[in-house]
Amino acid sequence: MTAQTYSLSPKEKSFVSWHLLVAMVALALGTLFGPLQAFEHAGLNLYPFLQPLIKSYYQGLTLHGVLNALVWTTFFITGFLTFNVIYGLKRPLRYPTLNQVGFWLMIVGLVMAAIPILLNKASVLYTFYPPMKAHWAYYVGLTLVVVGSWVEGYGFYFTYAAWRKENPGERTPFIAFASVLTMVLWQIATLGVAVEMLTMLIPWSLGLIETVDPQLARTYFWFTGHPLVYFWLLPAYISWYAMLPKQVGGKMFSDSLARLAFWLFLLLSVPLGFHHQYVDPGVPAGWKFVHAVLTFSVFFPSLLTAFTVIASLEYGARKNGGTGLFRWVLALPWRDPSVAAQLLAGLLFFFGGIGGLANAAYNVNLELHNTTFVPGHFHLTVATGVTLTFMGVSYWLVPYLTGKKLWKPDLARWQAWLWFIGMIIFSNAMHVLGILGAPRRTPLGDAPYVPAEWNSRLLQVGIGGGILFISAILYFAVMIGTAFSKVKVEKEVEVPVAEALQPVSQTPAWLDRWAPWVYAALALIVIAYGPQLYEQIRNISLTSPGFRVW
Amino acid sequence: MKNQEEFQPKGTVAILVVFVITLIVLWGTIYLTLLQRGGTV
Repeated sequence: MTAQTYSLSPKEKSFVSWHLLVAMVALALGTLFGPLQAFEHAGLNLYPFLQPLIKSYYQGLTLHGVLNALVWTTFFITGFLTFNVIYGLKRPLRYPTLNQVGFWLMIVGLVMAAIPILLNKASVLYTFYPPMKAHWAYYVGLTLVVVGSWVEGYGFYFTYAAWRKENPGERTPFIAFASVLTMVLWQIATLGVAVEMLTMLIPWSLGLIETVDPQLARTYFWFTGHPLVYFWLLPAYISWYAMLPKQVGGKMFSDSLARLAFWLFLLLSVPLGFHHQYVDPGVPAGWKFVHAVLTFSVFFPSLLTAFTVIASLEYGARKNGGTGLFRWVLALPWRDPSVAAQLLAGLLFFFGGIGGLANAAYNVNLELHNTTFVPGHFHLTVATGVTLTFMGVSYWLVPYLTGKKLWKPDLARWQAWLWFIGMIIFSNAMHVLGILGAPRRTPLGDAPYVPAEWNSRLLQVGIGGGILFISAILYFAVMIGTAFSKVKVEKEVEVPVAEALQPVSQTPAWLDRWAPWVYAALALIVIAYGPQLYEQIRNISLTSPGFRVW
Repeated sequence: MKNQEEFQPKGTVAILVVFVITLIVLWGTIYLTLLQRGGTV
């Protein structure tokens, strides 16, 4: 069976579609609150009009963060990875019931977490730092979402093992390889937050223990928090590496480089969480330095990714007649909304990377920490590099799954460009405000200390947020229009999976062996985190009671 | 189009050079701005 002829069964398509549906509903609801924050910064506070449904800025911010950064991403990613594993390995899931159990666990968890947020009993934002204390259902719900995603991951592993048994000696097809690796990364990364939930936050919220150690909780959280970014990013990279080149008429520049980059992300993305804790007094400076060095080391696979992806695009563009040192970019099929969305996402992601390096530098971080620079940065990464890419992916994946033609592709293309323009205005203003000292997670429209030099930038935050909201509406219009369209595709949508320039059989075997890389990743985590975790646990200070500050 | 053996991603290298220069300029600008404003530690 070739890649072109393999097709998911209707049941498999339905299973993947359910993931995407939940993800998009979460994005739709979460996106409603984005402009509310942006408008508030610009001096137009609409929150009072939402009483008594939404009681505060912080309840809205929690909904925005949880639904967009956690739910939209996790559900879209588990759905997309499920698709990649099945399509990449060209075989059904080994135990589909296991994956269904995982999915429904995620749904139960989502509902459990959503109820206290909607009742204003969990306005602790998506980082849920103690000693802010939420209702227990919020913590248990989020834990179930993670556990459900683990169970789906176990389903991937069984499927991969079955494929390996059937195909000894063959190189794992890239999209399946990268998807399983992403799940391995996720399962290692979420150990931190799992320990935080099970040993501290859940017993605390249930009244089994009275007090918590906020410092240790932050360490657990950021053990998960930074690699979480790579759990968001790697599925986007799968598309950029292996799908986008096909969409532009080219090939993957190097299968080997792509796999090497993914292994390096697995190796390096976990043991660097202290760079989020540069201002934490409970972490010794030496360990902050170690994690800073490891943080900068992630720049290497990031540059590998940039090189390989752009080279793949250049190959396709030149095949289409593109010429010149830079002019070939114009020969890419910008009219295809799926391509345009992903190219624009990648372009802004470049700047997200630059902001990330500023955050990672110790002395610069001390100035930028907890300023609007940080949300400005992650709106370029997760809210554009990842989200706009997922939107682009959905422009071919939803027609594939539903058998319906994409509704109004022109509107979809406008959506991508509006997101790009809106995000430039919004994010640039947030970065500049951060450099000027504006605090994040603050209703700046109410703040009495706002200097005049912030005003024009705060207005730009509102304008950018408004444009992003229009773009989001267009996205949902296209998705709903496609789902309910009566126009079916003439033949099944071709899944864009690019061949590599060199035959995959030439990829070195060591790039397709799991054990050394996984053991090395675990060893590096033990080295970079072990001593400090041991110290923090040994000196645990369960001193802080819970606070409800909203 | 050159065949794949001859394909040399010169445009890619050029874009990455521009990226690295942009990175240095932006990072440096942030750093200098913060120095001008006076450190807090």
